[in-house]
Amino acid sequence: MVGEIGTLLLGISLAISLYAAYAAWRGIQLSAVPASSARSRTWLQSAQNAVYMQAALLGAALLILLVAFLSDHFEISYVAQHSSMVIPVYLKISAVWAGQEGSLLLWCFLQALFAALATGCASERARSLVPWTTVFLSLITAFFVAVTLFLSHPFTLLSQPPLDGRGLNPLLRHPGMIFHPPALYVGYVGLAIPFAFAMAALITRRIEGWTAAIRTWTLIAWLGLGLGLLLGMRWAYDVLGWGGYWGWDPVENAGLLPWFTTTALLHGAVMQEEKRGFHVWNMLMVIFSFALVLFGTFATRSGMIQSVHAYTVSNLGGYFLTAIVVTLGGSLALLYARRAALKDSSPIVEGLLSRDGMFFLTLALFTTLTVSVLVGSLLPTLTEVFSGQRFEAGPAWFDRVTGPQFAVLILIIGLCPLLGRGVAALQRLRRLRWVVIGGAMTVPVAAGLTGFTDVFSLIGFAISGFAGAATLAEFVEGVMTRRKRTDEAPLNALWQLLRLQRRKYGGYLVHLGVILMALGIIGTRMYPFEMQITLNAGQSTAVKGYTLIFEELKTAFIADYNATWANVSVYRGDTYLTTLQPQLNRYTGDQTVTMPALLPGLHEDLYLILSGWTGDGTSATFKVIVNMLVNFLWLGGLIFLAGGGLALWPRMEHRTWNVVAFSVGLALLFGAGWAMWGMPHGSVDYGDGRPLVGQEAPDFRLSLLDGGTTSLKDLRGQIAVVNFWASWCPSCVEEMPALQDVWEMYEDKGVTFLGITYQDDVSTVRSALTQYGTTYPVGLDTGDRITDRYGITGIPETFIVDADGRVAHVHVGPIAAEALVTQLEALLK
Amino acid sequence: MQNKTSFIVAGLLVVGAMIYLIVSSTGSTAQYFLTVEEILAMDDEAMQRNITVSGAVLGETIVYDALAPRVTFTILNVPADPQEVERRGGLARVLHDAVQDPIGARLEVVYNGVKPDLLQNEAQAIVRGKMAMDGRLYADEVLLKCPSRYEEEIPTQVDD
Repeated sequence: MVGEIGTLLLGISLAISLYAAYAAWRGIQLSAVPASSARSRTWLQSAQNAVYMQAALLGAALLILLVAFLSDHFEISYVAQHSSMVIPVYLKISAVWAGQEGSLLLWCFLQALFAALATGCASERARSLVPWTTVFLSLITAFFVAVTLFLSHPFTLLSQPPLDGRGLNPLLRHPGMIFHPPALYVGYVGLAIPFAFAMAALITRRIEGWTAAIRTWTLIAWLGLGLGLLLGMRWAYDVLGWGGYWGWDPVENAGLLPWFTTTALLHGAVMQEEKRGFHVWNMLMVIFSFALVLFGTFATRSGMIQSVHAYTVSNLGGYFLTAIVVTLGGSLALLYARRAALKDSSPIVEGLLSRDGMFFLTLALFTTLTVSVLVGSLLPTLTEVFSGQRFEAGPAWFDRVTGPQFAVLILIIGLCPLLGRGVAALQRLRRLRWVVIGGAMTVPVAAGLTGFTDVFSLIGFAISGFAGAATLAEFVEGVMTRRKRTDEAPLNALWQLLRLQRRKYGGYLVHLGVILMALGIIGTRMYPFEMQITLNAGQSTAVKGYTLIFEELKTAFIADYNATWANVSVYRGDTYLTTLQPQLNRYTGDQTVTMPALLPGLHEDLYLILSGWTGDGTSATFKVIVNMLVNFLWLGGLIFLAGGGLALWPRMEHRTWNVVAFSVGLALLFGAGWAMWGMPHGSVDYGDGRPLVGQEAPDFRLSLLDGGTTSLKDLRGQIAVVNFWASWCPSCVEEMPALQDVWEMYEDKGVTFLGITYQDDVSTVRSALTQYGTTYPVGLDTGDRITDRYGITGIPETFIVDADGRVAHVHVGPIAAEALVTQLEALLK
Repeated sequence: MQNKTSFIVAGLLVVGAMIYLIVSSTGSTAQYFLTVEEILAMDDEAMQRNITVSGAVLGETIVYDALAPRVTFTILNVPADPQEVERRGGLARVLHDAVQDPIGARLEVVYNGVKPDLLQNEAQAIVRGKMAMDGRLYADEVLLKCPSRYEEEIPTQVDD
């Protein structure tokens, strides 16, 4: 029943989309005749209502799919394939867009919703463009609804519904996956709005005002793409366990390409609004942004581009290819027909070394970047056509081609505010020269001193430092100028600046974020470190200034997977940092998911992956990855989003709304920051960490069960065997007879045994001691005081402390009598 | 006029630099993307380069040495052209047919690393590495795709 309703809703919304396009077109036709203007208005109003209706219907269809997931309607094939009864509710929600059919439905809904908002809330200036915009947007919606309905139907019913679904792909079981696809789709879908407005502007020849009409939508789409890409990067870093965040995969590139052209468009629109030309260029960027969205969808779903990450080959390719050809052909022909109206009215007045020149170069570079990445994604096809052999562009290819282009862009970020406008620019340049030279020197010197010595990376650091100093100077100068006028406190002045000039300072914040990200990208891409090591339990190894000790392997069965994790203690020199727990989950059906553990730091992240182990867990293989400066990338990403959000936020008259919006924005940023740096990411601190062999054993005073107290200091001159155990722990009591035997052997040879119980109570300990005949002194560690100081990760653990009070041996897990004897004999010699 | 010229020159420089970067990088860092049949037909000079090959994993040939760790397996030829794949009934069908084919072109792959969990019979392997004198492909990277388990693959990146 649910499935049938969904199908019905999709069918009706397709009809309504087509009707909306027709009604708007009819209204436009009638408006040309003065006599029929009333009828024209009726048609246009009807079209508008139809646009609202299609958004409501598609919203209902999406809601129905959501209900089908939440209430386990496995008779719907899509639900059966992407959900199961056991997965938690938040995953059932994200499962709605986990596959092609559902994600297309989400796409349709967002498309219709944006169309309704864009046409319904168009500003006064954009009103005249709305009828044609409605035609284009409704046709685009109709296309996507038709594709969903006929080719990739989410409500297909199974004749024999299974009892349970196949479950959600474990890799997608991550909270970030709730937000990543919708954010990206907001970007993709949002780009249809500027496109439709641009086409309307071309048809009606109202060229000047259209960039203002689309500003908000361009920013929304741009920010959505940026957020989606960043979330995807972080998801890859947290979940996929290959240590990286960006692999230049065609699917990733599909999101990056429209982001490039939209960034170019945002800059070009500024120029156009300042009446400085760039008309044709902006039109081209709008058209290509939309075409690239279609291309991305086509490329990742048609199988034309080889990618292991792509959706499986589906029959959508041909339809999307047709859509791309129609879009590009139609819009470029229209552009050509209107070339006279687009002719720049303002001639170029300034030289290349000016604000205009920098904007021109920015647009040029984003265009070449787009072409470069497009060529890279298509390289196998292109080289086959030209040379008969297929070449594939790997990450090295992309890094090499795009790296210099990004570097020049960062340079321009720094140059642009310095150059400013007109004659004043020169004075400004003179005033700020030491600031920017200082920035260009400080960053590479600081980097050089902390171990970054590659010449190209130092050039990159210098450029970043230069651009960072120039951008920060903008903030400082803005605050100073304002204070001269208003006498506000510095922070207040900064706040007012951000509040009143959102676009300008939002833009500069974005630039700062990009500069920080550049530092992270230079660090991770130019100083990669990765090695594979196999360690036996208890064995330590030195890697990049860290000492890693593989303590033990643990395993547990959780829900529908088998989790195995390793405890790896991390020390820098003698100082305990943390214990990392890289994990590998094996799901029923043999799919595995690695859960890397990471120790974040400003200079680098230590990133540990458990890649394999021997059957009994005595040895394990790890991949150790050190990601240099990667946190600058994430921090820059947050600042980037903050700046974009600031630029996007509309001017609200109500103070309350501004405060609410500001608080929500801040809370989201803090939430993201907390998710990245506040959450443990597989890192657990066990008290002060286990003392290393050779280190002084931490002193403690322990009340013994048979009265009296003892401390480790009192035992100086003797060898002390300190055993941590509990009466409730089976493997602890298992080793007790062995301990007692050895104790009896060495009692008179200067060896003391000491049992310390962990989270236990007196009566059960006493009965255990009686049961196993233990006679050496035992005391209770109340409040985990001692276990914390010894960094106990699990009991039993045994420490042997030599006569000088230093740790001579550590054993994790039950110890055998023979092993203990060997150690003691060696010490007694 | 002079200003316009400087803009044009700068634009041409940017485009020229891009073309140079693309062409030179294609020469130095791009990898051959081949089928098993094409690799077997390659000359010695081409053997020197990094190559990427896609093939169907033959399950019975997977040998894993957990201590090294090293895994060796044989892949069988599958067509590279997606349309050809479609014509033969889809990827799952092509992979299935490939491992049934007793005379299909085959290539032995050596990968020094932990056995990827998706490495199983009839999986599609995309292997990057270099050919060695012994006629085996020494892989730096093995990416796998199993069409059987989940109807669709993951919408974003998944490396091994």
